[in-house]
Amino acid sequence: MFTYVLKRLVSLVVTFFVVSMIIFSLMHSIPGGPFDEDKMPLSPAAKAKIMAQYGLDKPLAVQYVRYMESVLRFDFGIPYQSPGETVVALLSRAWPPSFLLGGLGLLIGTPLGILLGIAAALRRNRPVDYIASAVSTLGITVPIYVISLMLMLVFGVWLKWLPTNGWGNPVSWILPVAAYAIVPLATFARYTRSSFLDVLNKPFVTVLMAKGLPYRTVIFKHVLKNAAIPMVTIFFPIFIGITTGSIFVEQMFRVPGLGSYFVTSISKRDYPLEMALILLLTLMVGIAYIVTDIAYYYLNPRTRIK
Amino acid sequence: MNDLTVVRSPGFYARRRFFDNKASVFSGAFIILLTAAAIAAPLITPSSYADQKYLDEALAFPSARHWFGVDNVGRDLYARIIYGARVSLGIGVVSALASIAIGVPLGAAAGFFGGVIDWIVTRIVEIFSVIPPLLVAILAASLFGGGILNIIIISSAFGWVGVARLVRGQVLTVKGREFVQAARAMGAGSKHIIVRHLIPNSISPIIVGFVLAIPQAMMLEASLSFLGVGINPPIPSWGQMISDGLYFMFFYWHLPLFPTLFLAVTVLTTSIFGDGLRDAFDPTLKGK
Repeated sequence: MFTYVLKRLVSLVVTFFVVSMIIFSLMHSIPGGPFDEDKMPLSPAAKAKIMAQYGLDKPLAVQYVRYMESVLRFDFGIPYQSPGETVVALLSRAWPPSFLLGGLGLLIGTPLGILLGIAAALRRNRPVDYIASAVSTLGITVPIYVISLMLMLVFGVWLKWLPTNGWGNPVSWILPVAAYAIVPLATFARYTRSSFLDVLNKPFVTVLMAKGLPYRTVIFKHVLKNAAIPMVTIFFPIFIGITTGSIFVEQMFRVPGLGSYFVTSISKRDYPLEMALILLLTLMVGIAYIVTDIAYYYLNPRTRIK
Repeated sequence: MNDLTVVRSPGFYARRRFFDNKASVFSGAFIILLTAAAIAAPLITPSSYADQKYLDEALAFPSARHWFGVDNVGRDLYARIIYGARVSLGIGVVSALASIAIGVPLGAAAGFFGGVIDWIVTRIVEIFSVIPPLLVAILAASLFGGGILNIIIISSAFGWVGVARLVRGQVLTVKGREFVQAARAMGAGSKHIIVRHLIPNSISPIIVGFVLAIPQAMMLEASLSFLGVGINPPIPSWGQMISDGLYFMFFYWHLPLFPTLFLAVTVLTTSIFGDGLRDAFDPTLKGK
């Protein structure tokens, strides 16, 4: 197991460097720079000076090596759009709202999705099952900004129950959290249902029922434990769904989080911020990938044999 | 011979399973209807997508004259949505075809030859699965500009990965079967085995991969257009119409509502249709 994790970590590091190289060259080949006329009206001399200050006058390869050197020292540079602070400071200021809303969505959506999936599996082809499959198909296929817009239209515009944007008041968190929660809710409902049905048909369940174990014990102890194995693997796509979803949710609900910087850093050619965001996300996704595999390994004894 | 012993083709049972599934039949009907409307757009709409013919009625609510209302610059919203279906469906289908064209040969080669080729393809697939597609798509769209062709290129650059994975898995299982060994024993070359045995036996995952790649590409286009780096105005795209409509949401709710509904229903029906096809081809998955 140790060598396996080590191997995965080495491969993650290699992937990380390949991705950083691809993104770095892709990013710099977009026409236009951060200090062009349309963004900052500077004289040619001042522009040359500021370009030299940020090292943007050097060849691309030199810039890349310099950048990666400072990244290894955990220095991600200075964001061009707010030069008064470092990228690290900007990110640590912006991540709490994103983390809070996304985390709440995950915390609320996951148990609800699992319960809905269990209910659907136990009451197959009855109303609960149809509701569960409608909710999960809707949540999996419909983009998150469409769901957000529907929530805003219904609860904010027509019923006027909830605010559609803002950040100060926790009441304004309800709609964005609901939009995030749809992703884990829908995905977990679908996968819990199918893996539950798989396990319910196994002979050991019949044996447990036949020997007179209480129904609840069979369902929540034995069946749930066995059905949890395939459910672990879908944590990873849900994680990606929530992180990229933040781009839309935060823009629509006007949340001052990380999501808005994904788009503005690209349009403003804010290279340091953009690189930091993409590298951060790649690293998080890569780690989530490995953690999922390790959890899978421990939950399913059969994968340990080989 | 009584009826019970009649042996039908696998296609017969696949068709019957498909038509038994009411949701996917209904979805298929919706897709056909929408495709027909998109093709016949000039015949069934009162104006073209860019005509600002109704400036004096700007922001008008839905009525008998303007089914979905008029937008803020005097364009009939119904016409823009029907023309938007051309963009959405066109990008979906062409990107899915391109994903198949790249993914099938790569996946088949990786599964069949193994070794170095498999290693390379698997590594590329691994890199693509760690990079968040939407972020790189935003980057690429800013780099190459939006527009229909570029979005097709970007979405097939990500779409082939799933197809390659599906085909590789299928080829790996078919490769070990007796009839492939028999073909090889009779002197068949690699090319013959791949083209005549492995790809035909992978046809159902390929079709399913194709149908499921369509909503993915449509979602990517809508997301990019929503963020303003997709289809360039005045060509209508549902994603772009949703994002424009957001500004008017509180008073003129019809501007964001109709493109939202069309995007949601189209993506939903294509996915349900794809799921129905998969259940029809693979009876062991039925009921899950």
